[in-house]
Amino acid sequence: MKTRASGVVLVIALLVVWEGSVRLGFVQSSNWPPFSAVLAALYHGIVSGELLSIIGSSMWRMLRGYALGSALGISVGVAIALARPVRLTLEPTIELLRPIPITAIVPPLIFVLGLDDRLKVICIAFATFFPVVTNTISGVTAVDATYLRVARTFGIPRAQTIRSVIVPAALPYILAGLRTSLAIALVVTVIAEMLAGDQGIGHYLLSMQYALRAPEMYSAIILLTLVAYCLNRLFVLWENHVIGWARSREVHEAP
Amino acid sequence: MQRLAKRWTDLVPGALFLLAILALIEFAARTGLVNAAVVPPPTTVALVFAHIVTTGVFVVPVLQTLGTLFTGYAAGCVAGIACGVLMGSFRAAYNLFEPLTEMVRPIPKPALLPALMLFLGLGSTMKITLVALAAFFPVLVSTVQGTRGVDVTMIDMARTFGYGPAQILWKIVLPAAAPYFAVGMRVSLGISLVVIVVAEMLTTNGGVGGALIEMQQQFQVRQTYGWLVVLALIGFGLNALFAWAERRLTFWSAAS
Amino acid sequence: MNSDADERALRIDALAKTFGGKQPVMVFEGLSLDVRAGEFLSIVGPSGCGKSTLLQVVAGLLPASGGRVLLGGRDVTGAPAHMVYLFQQYSKSLLPWMTVEDNVIFAFNHRLHLGAREARERSREHLAMVGLQESASAYPWQLSGGMQQRVAIARALSADPKVLLMDEPFSSVDALTRMELHALISELWERKRFTTVLVTHDVDEAIFLADRVAVLSRRPATIAELVATELSRPRRAVETYEDPRFLALRHRLLERLLRKPEELDAAPR
Repeated sequence: MKTRASGVVLVIALLVVWEGSVRLGFVQSSNWPPFSAVLAALYHGIVSGELLSIIGSSMWRMLRGYALGSALGISVGVAIALARPVRLTLEPTIELLRPIPITAIVPPLIFVLGLDDRLKVICIAFATFFPVVTNTISGVTAVDATYLRVARTFGIPRAQTIRSVIVPAALPYILAGLRTSLAIALVVTVIAEMLAGDQGIGHYLLSMQYALRAPEMYSAIILLTLVAYCLNRLFVLWENHVIGWARSREVHEAP
Repeated sequence: MQRLAKRWTDLVPGALFLLAILALIEFAARTGLVNAAVVPPPTTVALVFAHIVTTGVFVVPVLQTLGTLFTGYAAGCVAGIACGVLMGSFRAAYNLFEPLTEMVRPIPKPALLPALMLFLGLGSTMKITLVALAAFFPVLVSTVQGTRGVDVTMIDMARTFGYGPAQILWKIVLPAAAPYFAVGMRVSLGISLVVIVVAEMLTTNGGVGGALIEMQQQFQVRQTYGWLVVLALIGFGLNALFAWAERRLTFWSAAS
Repeated sequence: MNSDADERALRIDALAKTFGGKQPVMVFEGLSLDVRAGEFLSIVGPSGCGKSTLLQVVAGLLPASGGRVLLGGRDVTGAPAHMVYLFQQYSKSLLPWMTVEDNVIFAFNHRLHLGAREARERSREHLAMVGLQESASAYPWQLSGGMQQRVAIARALSADPKVLLMDEPFSSVDALTRMELHALISELWERKRFTTVLVTHDVDEAIFLADRVAVLSRRPATIAELVATELSRPRRAVETYEDPRFLALRHRLLERLLRKPEELDAAPR
């Protein structure tokens, strides 16, 4: 961080400009509150518990969808990677479904599942599934055939081979997929909450916008960003803990 | 990614599986196992989709969506590549901008939609801005990575033949980093499509997203599904187009 | 003729290079060497002694910490024209998104600005000199290691060099290919007589190709020894290696290089 001092200064300077532009009267708009007002709203929102409970409910939704999608993604991914018949059967459908923008799926699903949590969790799971399944397939297929041959030469039973050779070798890829889909899960949570129902941070942002309560809206964005940042950091820490040994290896997947 | 099946017979299990699922839904909807009012039979949806296509009612919304999408996407990518090359090549630039980008990047971009709606209204300017913001960051990150990965030998070689720093950036660094920012651009394409549809759904003033949400709010179930197919095809088409373009431009990288 | 010979003369004058940082590393200091116009000079030294660094400073790719490099009597600042560099990792110096032909054009056309057809002709001309005219439309990564280095050689020649600097260019190819490349370089050099400085850890190669061989000591490096090979030209792969003078010189240099660091005396020239 010490070398990025110039960058930190830039951020602070921009915040000062923001504050100054309002206080000094350059920008007169209710949509452009001073940064201090945003901080105040943030403080009140946290202290009153309102913002925290809203974000909390969003997180709860997200985690359920994320867990569901990840579990499905990993199991299907392993099955596809290990059994060619499974791959031939399932992969075309997966590849057909993948490019569909998740937002397009929400309205039809509203008819089927209504506007409550079930809809959102399913949508989050759907979006989470694809990066996880792709990375899992990559990871398992990348396990060097040599290792597998060695295991077979020594007569190691299949189940144990999966446990002690394939899973550890595929882990860096799988975790990379989980990391990517964590960010996606958060995005889809916000989207689903904006499009359906009256729960969560997504809905809160929209209602603050309709009510023209800009400080509350910005404070929610800040809080959401902090949560996103912390989630990512925590995940990376955990990831490093689990597979610190593979850090030098290059893991291929989109950022 | 799409891999050519070794034999065309390899495509059979997958096709059968897909058809089986569709047949299952068809059967369930027609026999009342599921409520056909919310899950219409696929054949009905196909007819609705065909109707949308043949009456040409898809043209204007699709053009609107694609127009806004491409404008925002192009802006975001160009900015992402330019900033990425700068930040990747010059430590000073990196140190200056990295904290700022690292603070803005984690913001889930749809969360910015209400704010942008307040500032920029509900028109295409707002949508283009949102898409550009969404597209910018994945491209930036992968461009920085790719720029840093450019081998110094290549740059030194160009220097010995008299190329100056600007030309080296343009003729060596940019092509060499292309496979990297192509990865970022692919991610950005997906996010941009998602974001534009959300924006259209919330502003309900045009584009495929607007049509989709309009049908949903009018409880026109089959129309909703029909427009979903339109969007699915757009997603599919863009993906395929991108893959083709990427292959043509970075054919050399898989081999080296 | 005199001014021409001058332009190919390379003079290294009390050159110094130190890498900064928390623990500065002095690679060499007060290193002086006169490379005669048109001669082939080899520099051998143990790995890590800084011979590659020396070459990069001479080429203008790295700034010197002290001293000067003079080409034809003029100071070298930055990469001068007519000084070409052959890299050890040729695959990383050839642009993979361009064909072999375009790679060669890339080298000379920046300074020559020829039209498309003339540029292609010139490119193919030089590829023919190294026997690769058939591979003009191929991409570098489609070629073998030896062929890639030949492309790099063709590319270097197309820039009309007065000085050729080679940084262990043959260390990444197999032994037989290496001998073929030796013959090629020798032959091209005899035709054009550009001043050549070869940096290598391979004593045989150093002696076989050169008029003179300089031995670099360990860090901080200086010229520990400078001998003339005095072997007749043209050099032939089998005969020259069996020449008693070759063997004697090889013995002498190897013995010097393999001596333990404590015993190695640096005798500045």
